[in-house]
Amino acid sequence: MIKIGADSVTKRFGEHLLFRNLAFSAESGESFYITGANGSGKSTLLQILAGIQRPYSGHVTWEKNNVTIIPDDYLKYSGFTGPQVNPYEMLTALENIEFVSGPDVDLHNVNELLERFGIYKERNRQVKFFSSGMKQRLRIINAIINDPPVIFLDEPGSNLDVEGKAILYSFIENLKPGKIIFIATNEPDEIKLCSRGIVLDDRYL
Amino acid sequence: MTGIYKNLRKDFLVEFRNRSAVNISFAFAVITTMSISLVAGGTSFEPHIHAILIWMIIFFSGMNGLAHTFIREEDEKNALFLRLAYSPEDIFISKLLFNIIFFTGIISVICPLYLFFLQARPLIPQLFIATAFSGGLAIASITTILGAMVSKAGGKGSLFTVLSFPLILPVMWVSITNTALSIEGAESADYRNVLFLIAFSGIIACISYLLFRYIWVE
Amino acid sequence: MKIHRLVYILMPLVIYMSFLWAPSAAILGDASRIIYYHVPVAWVAVIAFIVAGVESIIIIIKNDEQSLMREERAYNTTLIGLVFTILALVTGAIWANLSWGSYWNWDPRQISIVILLLIYIAYFSLNSALEGNESKGKISSVYLILAMVVMPLFVFIIPRVYDSLHPDTIINADKKMHLEEAMKITLFTSMGAFTLLYIYIYNIMNRISAVKIKIREKRHAL
Repeated sequence: MIKIGADSVTKRFGEHLLFRNLAFSAESGESFYITGANGSGKSTLLQILAGIQRPYSGHVTWEKNNVTIIPDDYLKYSGFTGPQVNPYEMLTALENIEFVSGPDVDLHNVNELLERFGIYKERNRQVKFFSSGMKQRLRIINAIINDPPVIFLDEPGSNLDVEGKAILYSFIENLKPGKIIFIATNEPDEIKLCSRGIVLDDRYL
Repeated sequence: MTGIYKNLRKDFLVEFRNRSAVNISFAFAVITTMSISLVAGGTSFEPHIHAILIWMIIFFSGMNGLAHTFIREEDEKNALFLRLAYSPEDIFISKLLFNIIFFTGIISVICPLYLFFLQARPLIPQLFIATAFSGGLAIASITTILGAMVSKAGGKGSLFTVLSFPLILPVMWVSITNTALSIEGAESADYRNVLFLIAFSGIIACISYLLFRYIWVE
Repeated sequence: MKIHRLVYILMPLVIYMSFLWAPSAAILGDASRIIYYHVPVAWVAVIAFIVAGVESIIIIIKNDEQSLMREERAYNTTLIGLVFTILALVTGAIWANLSWGSYWNWDPRQISIVILLLIYIAYFSLNSALEGNESKGKISSVYLILAMVVMPLFVFIIPRVYDSLHPDTIINADKKMHLEEAMKITLFTSMGAFTLLYIYIYNIMNRISAVKIKIREKRHAL
């Protein structure tokens, strides 16, 4: 059972204030959306929650069974994907997945996911030949391959066609029980996947 | 351990599939060596001059290629992907090993070519080889951490050379002196300087290992 | 702790002592008086460097709200160090010219001061290239720590491996200084005065930095 909390989280880049005094929490079994206008700081907030960036002030706390986890370990318990997370173009899809896979993953899991997301046939092609939609599917696979208890998705549906989105949404529905899922998005369908969330608007400036 | 191995393998695959980057580094080394030998046109040089020329070529070949391993991650936008997958320590060691292997390769190309075309024959070949590789080791050690810094600073142009030069100069100084001694076969030539270079590399590598995460992680 | 204010008294005293009180040296004559400026200035350059390194280590170890102020302090001391390195180089060159006939002699000591200068300059290049980057302070600190480790290795090889025209420095423990009493007193007083001067300037620069940071914080709180 994992619980993630944000307390008075403020972020600014130099003189520019992104948001201020955010406070919320989520725990296993919940899905949480982050939405807001372009540039409102959705991706940044997601990265702060994942421990990739640090807040200007305020705290993010992770607890596993009521024991606090240190920020350096957050990534051990989570999968993260977003537009800035790019697999290696010179490697094949399979090589990229193998690169991020932990020891518990075997080829069977990998092939299963590749099939599920419809890029099994292209698994041995270099990513530089992938379309943006195929890259996005690969990104999602990379985030979930290690079956992490926490999943961060930054605009997961971008570049996906109708079929791709359908696969993604049904997959997320299946993941929900027992995991915490954060989705940063502007897509109404993706917001609907979540039980609650936060809108980054003037309230937080 | 596996983390380091997987990263090394990944770096080699990426660099060698994108053959232009590796090719350019080696081509630079070859071309510079050849240019100097053509320009020298058969003049015979003192051992000291040979030592200086060899290390100048080695230095600039290094400046050309050693920062690449980190700058590529930023340029190709793989940095976050990498950051998510492995600990800073694993990443640093694999990049360091990559640079050492790569630079050893470069030096292995430059030295024979130079010696052949400029007809220099080291009278103490073992010392020559030991100095070349230990000096290269030291340069690779310093440039790995500096390459990481420069990649975070946008990796533009000569910042890397500007940062590296003052810190590499002691290495060059020692290497040049020792190389000259090995070429002329002086009696005072010994392996003390080689040991110094190896120790230096070790110290730099240790400190870089400890400090790398403050560069890599926000 | 306003001990650095003593510089108001000490510096004029040193100027008097160096030019009027201390006797002329045997061979160089009045030209030798440059020692009372060259040595302290070089000393301050090294002190500033060490302070920068220590400050950087603290920045890395203790990552808290004070970090911003510490980064400013590291920057300030490096800036002072840069200026004093240039002064050391210039006074050293003048002395070299007076003693050996040319400003630049490929002397290892002269070269090591140039290296120190290049390291400082590289720091400022790195700093400005990192402008706007959140990790600027930490990355610059890593560079200073690295430089602080490399520099002594360098400074200690040079005297051991290569002969130098440079008179043995005070750092060599077994070296006795062949100076008359009055000259020794002047020299040490001068070193004290310049150290106080360093602390004085450093203090003022840090106070300005503290105000800058406060202003920024107030503005952010609005």
